[in-house]
Amino acid sequence: MLFLDIVSSILLLAGIFFGLSGAVGLFRFPDFFTRVHAASVTDSIAAILIIGGLLLQTSFDLNTAKLVFILLFLMVTSPTASHALAKSARHGGLLTLAETRPEDKQEHTQ
Amino acid sequence: MHIVKWAAVLAIFWLLLSGFIEPLLLSFGVISVVAVLVVLKRMDEVEHESSQISTSLRLIRYLPWLIGQIISSSIHVTKLIWGSPDKVSPAIAKISSKDVPLSSRVLYANSITLTPGTLSVDLEEDEITVHALHKSSIDELKQGEMERKIAGIWGENK
Repeated sequence: MLFLDIVSSILLLAGIFFGLSGAVGLFRFPDFFTRVHAASVTDSIAAILIIGGLLLQTSFDLNTAKLVFILLFLMVTSPTASHALAKSARHGGLLTLAETRPEDKQEHTQ
Repeated sequence: MHIVKWAAVLAIFWLLLSGFIEPLLLSFGVISVVAVLVVLKRMDEVEHESSQISTSLRLIRYLPWLIGQIISSSIHVTKLIWGSPDKVSPAIAKISSKDVPLSSRVLYANSITLTPGTLSVDLEEDEITVHALHKSSIDELKQGEMERKIAGIWGENK
């Protein structure tokens, strides 16, 4: 059991680190689209690591199944939410950093 | 036939979520499963293509690979966050998804979004607009490893 506890705490701590990184990135990145990328670090890997860590804390019963369901649903819903955000921003006319920088323009018009 | 499959899947799902084996609660479970099946049956009449559940374990072959991709690209994005976020050079491009079967395109777009560093902005007929933190991620997607993976796993019975 001790071994599982150690693995589980490593996973949880790594999850916390990535979750924090996502939050920091949200403030440090320059524009809307890049910030969505930072948030997706929290969405994907932090969720996987934290739920993975919690899985090892259960006694492999119904709670394990419930955690697996939570992970599966998160992996379906969180990219959908990011996609909805990005799509509405784009259709609302928000330009990406690459398109507003004049020196990069030629690459994107082709 | 697929109604029976759905009944089994829903019953297992309900049992896993509830965990109570008492007559009263079990009967609630039966009622909710039957209610969903009735709705499903009526929906099948509206949409003539009935909603199939795949019995093969395709997702289990795909998920470990996807999680590997997520981990490697997360580390990349995290480096950018703590390093020099001003140095990101975002790029946007259209990526063809012709080889991906129609029913798996949402999965493809979602996998792109789920991998940090790439974000699917728009999904058209057979093109996905992808925004990436770095141009190299777009080149990687254009090489089509993820596309081939999905087409290989889900495209068999097309």
